[in-house]
Amino acid sequence: MTRNATRSGSGVAYGLLVLSSLVVLVPVAWMLSTALKSSDELFSQTVRWLPLNPSLDAFARVFTDYPFATYFMNSIVVVTASTVIAIAFATFAGYGVSRFEFRGRGSLMTFLLLTQMFPSIMLLIPYFKLFQTLGLIDTRTALVIAYVSFQLPLCTWMMVGYFRSVPTELDDAAAVDGSGRIRTFFQIILPLTMPGVAATAIYAFISGWNEYLFALVLTSSEDKKTVPVGIGQLIGQYRIEWNDLMAASLYALVPLTLIFIFLQKRIISGMTAGAVK
Amino acid sequence: MYGIGLSLFDTNLVNRWDFVGLDNYGRLARDSGFLDSIVITFAFAFMVVAGNLVVGTGLALLLNRGLRFTTFFRAVLILPWLFPEVVVALIWKWMYNPVYGLFNHDLQAMGVIDEPVAWLDDPNLALVAVALAAIWKGYPLVMVLVLAGLQTVPKELYEAASLDRAGGFGKFRHVTLPGIRPVLLAVIVLETAWWFKHFTIVWLLTNGGPAGATNVVSIDIYERAFKNFQWGDAAASAVVVLIICLALSAIYQKVLHRDDS
Repeated sequence: MTRNATRSGSGVAYGLLVLSSLVVLVPVAWMLSTALKSSDELFSQTVRWLPLNPSLDAFARVFTDYPFATYFMNSIVVVTASTVIAIAFATFAGYGVSRFEFRGRGSLMTFLLLTQMFPSIMLLIPYFKLFQTLGLIDTRTALVIAYVSFQLPLCTWMMVGYFRSVPTELDDAAAVDGSGRIRTFFQIILPLTMPGVAATAIYAFISGWNEYLFALVLTSSEDKKTVPVGIGQLIGQYRIEWNDLMAASLYALVPLTLIFIFLQKRIISGMTAGAVK
Repeated sequence: MYGIGLSLFDTNLVNRWDFVGLDNYGRLARDSGFLDSIVITFAFAFMVVAGNLVVGTGLALLLNRGLRFTTFFRAVLILPWLFPEVVVALIWKWMYNPVYGLFNHDLQAMGVIDEPVAWLDDPNLALVAVALAAIWKGYPLVMVLVLAGLQTVPKELYEAASLDRAGGFGKFRHVTLPGIRPVLLAVIVLETAWWFKHFTIVWLLTNGGPAGATNVVSIDIYERAFKNFQWGDAAASAVVVLIICLALSAIYQKVLHRDDS
């Protein structure tokens, strides 16, 4: 192939990449622009990219006019708790599956993957009934339990992959030196898989932070709702305050963006570790 | 399990538990609303999965060419995956807004349409409009997975193909495609199962309307259970969805097994 052909090929490739990046960035920029506008300017027939009187009022109103401070607190508490619990169980389960031969090991792994096929809407009704019986409807505890239940399978699946990448010779060497199973796990194997634990935790956190349906059904009072439910119920209103909503959404993106900027490489390798092997 | 049990009862979950056997299923089979929603769901899932595959694979191929700024483009292109579905729905609802939305404004400026289009209120357009938003949210995952798959294709194969005077398309067809086939198959089936049971984006954009045009099966079940309190019917519909998803996963396992041998 001649050099010219390669160069024009790259030109097309760049063009397509820039175009698709625009498709991603334009809505995000529009969101930012909307959040900076006043309500009057919002409902004007002319579309302006740069607001006439940009103001941060909407960002303040999110916390003064709406109970978003409570929603954020709930989201942080519920998702942090469920992520910690899911990771704790997933590391033990992952280590167990990667180190011991036991009956049903293969079917356990298949089952974990199969849970991805379950329609969450189908689990919703039994969960609702279960929490109703236990008197846990409209509590953060119910949300934590529900979130752990769907974070756990995927986390375990990912952790098995990470533990498999640590050679079992290390376990044997530790055993020869007189270290017990538990000590080997905490002092030798777990530190080596810390990057994997971090990637899995991020994955679990993001999936919990973004969850909507369960939070919608399992909570009803304002002081128990999470951020997605809070934003979601404002979308359904007759008169939508778009600038306030966009400001609230941008707040919701903050933790995710921070995580992503610092840990981009790790997230991507974590996402693909389980899927490709 | 409880869901399956529940699907056999006519119940309000508290004190009325009438065992009705398979009556709930029988009623569903005759319920044109439910059948319509299954058809709509297949159409929706097909559009989204096909869109995700084309866009995701295409972008993965572009990112895999080792161009400069690849890291930057990858970071930008992966952003929608990070966004909560609620936020995605919100952004698109605002852009689709017939009077103040960006879509109508730009399309009118470019002369594509003459007057504002009510994207989400037109029964003929709503499903496509919703699917577009879902593709925007869904393609990054496909992109990342295919990108990972592309790393596993040996470089020597491309060199060999060059020696055989294969063009760009020939290389794609005979080297790239077979190389990423397992990943593509896995992605197709997982994606189908995910989008088949999708709820949030559709619910927030249209509530299943207009006139049931976007009434996907998850919304149908949600309304049966939490609006009309027909728990038995809802559970029966959920079981039907589960069976469809399991059938899809069975196909998946079978195809993968054939791949291994």
